Amino acid sequence: MVVLKIIENIIFGNSGTWAVISGVLYIIGLWRIFQKSDVPGWKALIPWYREYWLGKCAGKEQEGRFLAVAQFIYTAGNIAVELIKNENARLFVAVISIMAWIIYAIYSIQVYNGLIDVYNVRKRWLWLWILAEPIPALIWGFNDKYQPSWKAGEFRDNAVSHVRGGEVADMGEGLTVNLNKREVPDGLFQKKVLLKDIHMNIKPGRLVMLLGGSGAGKTTYVNAINGYEKADAKVILNGRNIYKEYSKMLYEVGFVPQSDLMRGKDTVLHTLIDYANLRLPSNFSDQDRKDRVEEALKLFGLGPVRNSMVSQLSGGQRKRLSIAMEFISNPSLFILDEPDSGVDGVMARELFKQLRKVADTGRIVIAITHTPDRVVELFDDVIILAKDSDRIGRLAFYGTVDECRKFFGKERMEEVVKTINRPEEGGDGRADEFIIKYAQEVQHV
Amino acid sequence: MSEASVATQRHLKLRYLGRGGQIIIYLGKLLRGFIYQADWKVMPMAALIAGLVSMVVRRDFFLTMEGTLKGAFALTCVSIWNGCFNSIQVVCRERDIIKREHRSGLHISAYIFAHMVYQALLCLLQTGITLFVCQRTGIQFPQQGLFTPWLIVDIGITVFLITYASDMLSLWISCITRSTTTAMTVMPFILIFQLVFSGGIFTLPQWAIKISAASISNYGLKCIAAQADYNKQPLVTAWNSIVKVEKQEFNATVTVGQILDFLQKDDVSLIHDFRATEFNAPTTGELLSMFGLGANDPLGTGLPSFNELLSMGTGMLPENAAGGENTVSSEESAPRTLTFGQVIDELAAMESVRNIRDKSYNFSTTVGQIIEMIGREKMQNYVQDMTAQSNQNADYENSKANIFGYWGNISIFVFVFAILSVICLEFVDKDKR
Repeated sequence: MVVLKIIENIIFGNSGTWAVISGVLYIIGLWRIFQKSDVPGWKALIPWYREYWLGKCAGKEQEGRFLAVAQFIYTAGNIAVELIKNENARLFVAVISIMAWIIYAIYSIQVYNGLIDVYNVRKRWLWLWILAEPIPALIWGFNDKYQPSWKAGEFRDNAVSHVRGGEVADMGEGLTVNLNKREVPDGLFQKKVLLKDIHMNIKPGRLVMLLGGSGAGKTTYVNAINGYEKADAKVILNGRNIYKEYSKMLYEVGFVPQSDLMRGKDTVLHTLIDYANLRLPSNFSDQDRKDRVEEALKLFGLGPVRNSMVSQLSGGQRKRLSIAMEFISNPSLFILDEPDSGVDGVMARELFKQLRKVADTGRIVIAITHTPDRVVELFDDVIILAKDSDRIGRLAFYGTVDECRKFFGKERMEEVVKTINRPEEGGDGRADEFIIKYAQEVQHV
Repeated sequence: MSEASVATQRHLKLRYLGRGGQIIIYLGKLLRGFIYQADWKVMPMAALIAGLVSMVVRRDFFLTMEGTLKGAFALTCVSIWNGCFNSIQVVCRERDIIKREHRSGLHISAYIFAHMVYQALLCLLQTGITLFVCQRTGIQFPQQGLFTPWLIVDIGITVFLITYASDMLSLWISCITRSTTTAMTVMPFILIFQLVFSGGIFTLPQWAIKISAASISNYGLKCIAAQADYNKQPLVTAWNSIVKVEKQEFNATVTVGQILDFLQKDDVSLIHDFRATEFNAPTTGELLSMFGLGANDPLGTGLPSFNELLSMGTGMLPENAAGGENTVSSEESAPRTLTFGQVIDELAAMESVRNIRDKSYNFSTTVGQIIEMIGREKMQNYVQDMTAQSNQNADYENSKANIFGYWGNISIFVFVFAILSVICLEFVDKDKR
């Protein structure tokens, strides 16, 4: 009897005749719902895993994950209560089980709500899902009237998914990127590909603009090339493999994050001195360090506020300080994630002019920006990343600014971005077309 | 080869600031933060909490078992509270900044060690403030400590260790949580755990005692109680309860045998003292009038009167060395020195008395009358000593080995939480962007 109860608990999340009947109906309904979302129906058979996939079908993957874990704990608690003899231990397990059930109930509501949004039906369905989940599962599963507006299914077989960029050889100087894939764990047993097939050589002294719609993988890309988030890739900077020599090379790469990550209750001078101490080699004398700090203060126009608290600086001053912090170590590769965000047009232009000066000293400077046209003439090259129909970030173009205009047939960079953006993002949805075109061009070259 | 490429080759051969140097940089940042970021606010807060708690526990701390336990618990709570609030937000509030700095070459171990040093200074200051306030608000610290000539210093070491261990616990939580809101949500649970499982105030079931081994408060409370010499102090609860029912009247029935057996318990200090008490043997008349009894059973109990009892004893009492005559043989006999023990033993040994051992007396009295009869001070001392004896606790033994053991245990928490902090913060790169 106990064994039967345990099996019922595992498969249906509870035991008893009614639990078995409703559990079977629920699984049948889910099977069909999964199929409608391009998810294999058999996934509804696997306890806990089905909860995760239900969350995914509802566009609530994270919630689905919590749902699965909470249900696992609740079920395990139910089974443990049956088996454990010690009264204190039973009580303890029962409390844990109740907590898990509460979490399960709350996340269930969130997932059902998501499902209602995806199926675009009235909110009152929520009550039916809460009170008798097999009924809506069967109705939505078997009635063709109910169709999801978005599908959680795995990758489809598109033309673009077969396109490969050509690998590039290391030039010995500058930056060579051969990124095959950047993927992250997605759920319990699978991975999600964020970037695929990005290959390029960037020569020293180039100021490079990195463009792309939101979610195209711009930040993921810069994190992958500076070695912070390693990808299936080979990244060579001036003949050295960044991934293999990361602990040494990290001083060679300056990364300015999108938000100004600095301690507000510290002075500008102290912030720069500390960074100089942290980033400059030990053979730098105190005088050299001071000189370097003074140089950074002068170059980024921070002299007048050197003794001010960081929290008292304006948005533009903070941004310049954030750049100066990285500049101070004199990196060979300088990467900036939206350095012009929160900065007015004039200030942004001044900022990019300073970056131009940095690039002119032989450094590679890569900057992500969302307002490219006001500064595009300062840049040498453009990298365009686009989200293909599999929602994977791909390389749609890399070349000079003029080549870019010619390639896309657009004068302004914002128009280029609009061309490759998906329709739901207000774009033309032509990303696949340019990804394929660029890959073919590169291979022919 | 470009300038940048040459720089890269050169940089690869260079050494950069190591952990030691980074510790100094971050210590400097933290000390500046103490002034600019208003981290100093924890100091007046420590004084305020110590003052409030001290006002409640000052009367009995170090004087009675209950007061000492209460005081030890309060001091432990104050220390844990101070420690937790010192560092609960310090890491999570700048998590993104740490992430950036880690990417720029910061060693997490150096960062945590800098925090350890800085927090140790904070805790030291708070310990000083707490004990100073406690003393100023009237807690009388006994003079002699086990390790130093001043108990306040010994207790200061314990308070510092509890504060510091709690500080490290909070630092660890701050390293796990990704926002200050989450950290502040978790903190009450940590405090409740520490308070409930301290084991001093709440009686814990067997299974919970095992869990309490994982709480800083458990060792902290025991250590302070041991230092305060808990086992040597009186337990006043029982005596206070007796005093509360002083006016309570009650009827009782006792047999002659019970009275005699009770009065022969020489191992009971109170009885022993009573038995050893010397008195000038009264005349029979004096005895009768002392107990308000006439010669012929004035209460109509049907029991032998004292006169009869004493008559039974005539000749059985030893010849008094002083006068050579029977002590209670006649009303006119001269008083001589005897102990109550002698009289009781003689009475108990008499065959005629043994024959009436089962005879019972009914009497009505109040608790207060009995106390007064025995002697208030004597009774109080007896009750307090007896209950204190039965409340001895080996955990609170005032010995160097015991206290040193607790210090060691609390110190282990410090290092464990510091190591956990480093390990957990090493995963800062895995945070979602």
